Amino acid sequence: MEFLEIIMDRINYFGAATLFVIGLYTVLTHPNLLKKVIGLNIMETAVFLFMVSIGYVSGGNAPILSSVKEPITEAYVNPLPTAMILTGIVVAVSITAYALSLIIKIYEVYGTVELDEILEMRGD
Amino acid sequence: MDYMQFPLIILFVLLLGAVLTPLLMKRFNQRGTNFILGVLIVSLSISGYLLFQVMTQGSYMYNVGNWSPTIGIQFSIDAFSTMMVFFILLMSTLVVVYSLRDIEHEILPKQIPVYYSLIFLLLVGMVGITFTNDLFNTYVFMEILAMTSCAIISIKRKKENFMAAFKYLMLNTLASISFLFGVALLYMGTGYLNITEMANQIPVAWELYPTNILLALGFMAAGLGIKAAVFPMHTWLPDAHSSAPTPSSALLSGLVVKVYIFVTMKILFRLIGTEIIIVNLGLHNYIAYFAAVGMVMGSIFAIGQKDIKRMLAYSSVAQLGYIFLGIGLATSAGIGVSLFHVVSHGLMKSALFLSAGAVIYKTDKRKISDLSGIGYEMPITMVVFSIAALGMIGIPGMSGFMSKWYLALAVLEANQPFYLVVILLSSFLNAVYYLPIIVSAFLKPREDGSEEMTRDGIPRTMTMPMIIIAGFIILVGIFPQILMNIIERAVPTFL
Repeated sequence: MEFLEIIMDRINYFGAATLFVIGLYTVLTHPNLLKKVIGLNIMETAVFLFMVSIGYVSGGNAPILSSVKEPITEAYVNPLPTAMILTGIVVAVSITAYALSLIIKIYEVYGTVELDEILEMRGD
Repeated sequence: MDYMQFPLIILFVLLLGAVLTPLLMKRFNQRGTNFILGVLIVSLSISGYLLFQVMTQGSYMYNVGNWSPTIGIQFSIDAFSTMMVFFILLMSTLVVVYSLRDIEHEILPKQIPVYYSLIFLLLVGMVGITFTNDLFNTYVFMEILAMTSCAIISIKRKKENFMAAFKYLMLNTLASISFLFGVALLYMGTGYLNITEMANQIPVAWELYPTNILLALGFMAAGLGIKAAVFPMHTWLPDAHSSAPTPSSALLSGLVVKVYIFVTMKILFRLIGTEIIIVNLGLHNYIAYFAAVGMVMGSIFAIGQKDIKRMLAYSSVAQLGYIFLGIGLATSAGIGVSLFHVVSHGLMKSALFLSAGAVIYKTDKRKISDLSGIGYEMPITMVVFSIAALGMIGIPGMSGFMSKWYLALAVLEANQPFYLVVILLSSFLNAVYYLPIIVSAFLKPREDGSEEMTRDGIPRTMTMPMIIIAGFIILVGIFPQILMNIIERAVPTFL
């Protein structure tokens, strides 16, 4: 019971770690280039989830001045990680866009997006 | 004039160049060339003045937008970061002057303005990483650098370029995400992102949350190890650096990798601190082991290569081992020599890539076996190549000799004579793959049988940068104190 409680208290962190590993596994093992990009996106999501969870204060208000008429508690959620993750998302989107455009080019010249077939074609 | 604002102005000028270049130039022409060179020279002179001011007035912290450092972004303007920025801008100015004619051969004409835009963004990334004293800011600049360094490879429309860029992009992003995870874990443990503030909190955090710090160190080491191409994680480097257009290869091999090494040093020594790294974990020993393996294996791989640019790329893996060996010693002499070799290898590898690129420009020969007698055909280019290659081997008079000399002294001072054997072995292996090129270039007959010495036959804007870089190699080799004076002031900020 105590073990379950420990997990439930840190459920976000466990979720982030699981997502990170799923993403990493996809990137490393999947021969399809598109799925590798998806794997990267899952990894990025894992880190974002982790970072937002760090700043979360249980029962805290949104960190906007006068958002709530009568704030119930004095506690506020830490806005810094959220703001940083906004930057992180922008970066992730641009990386994904660039990776996808590269995949289009690779498909044009090799005629496939499977890594093993491409490596066979290159002969190494 | 108040020089305090200069770091931000350098970044601003470079960003302006990146935005305006494709707008001002529909086609690549003289006006566009003047604009590109103007931007570079303005930023170079600003950074030169900043270096002079920092050397005379001392280093300072610059708060961007005057926000308090705990929530805002802070730049650390000290002796080494300004020198590094000056070096980055100096080398890239020379490489860009070289590229003005060379790039026409490598990419489509309509892409040339975009190429220079990417080069400026690359510089923004490098300058930003070097200056910043904030971990999340480091991540953002790292991503700018990762994207642009992949883009200047894939801009050349060739099959292998796309695959090399994709491989580089995947590993680079993987590394960035690992780094960001490390940043998040450290932020969780300390509550700050500013490196100085974090470093104050680290001893407390180490007591309370050792797992966080350990995990963060692991993630960051993996990320930066991939980006800085430490030996077992170097697989992207040969593909990326050999298939890229020549100016990109010179920039990537000479500068981009070095910037990540600087970040590694910041995190290991300024942030986590020697107390945890050396006394509690002994992490520096492992860095030195990997570096030693890399020094030998990189050279062995290089011997087997047939393509000259690929050989140079593998040689980079070996040379990065020297830098990491210096870090792994974790003594002030070791740090000093790795900072010295950052500059010295940047000079030598750029000269090698540029001269190899000049040979490819004129004769289209990429295979090492085709190079016999090329010294008569292109004397200036091959003399530059020979100077840099002899420096790599460690012949006295070149900057490479001084790095090996200082490294050997540092190894002996740290009482680890085993690494001296590795250094000697690696130098010997360097000679095995560099000397045959020099010998066949100057001593073997030309393929067409003629023995006349001809002019190089490449544009002057391509020969001049090479000659200047070769001059720097000899200058640093004979007067290493010019660099060492700055480095001696930078070392105490790490240890």
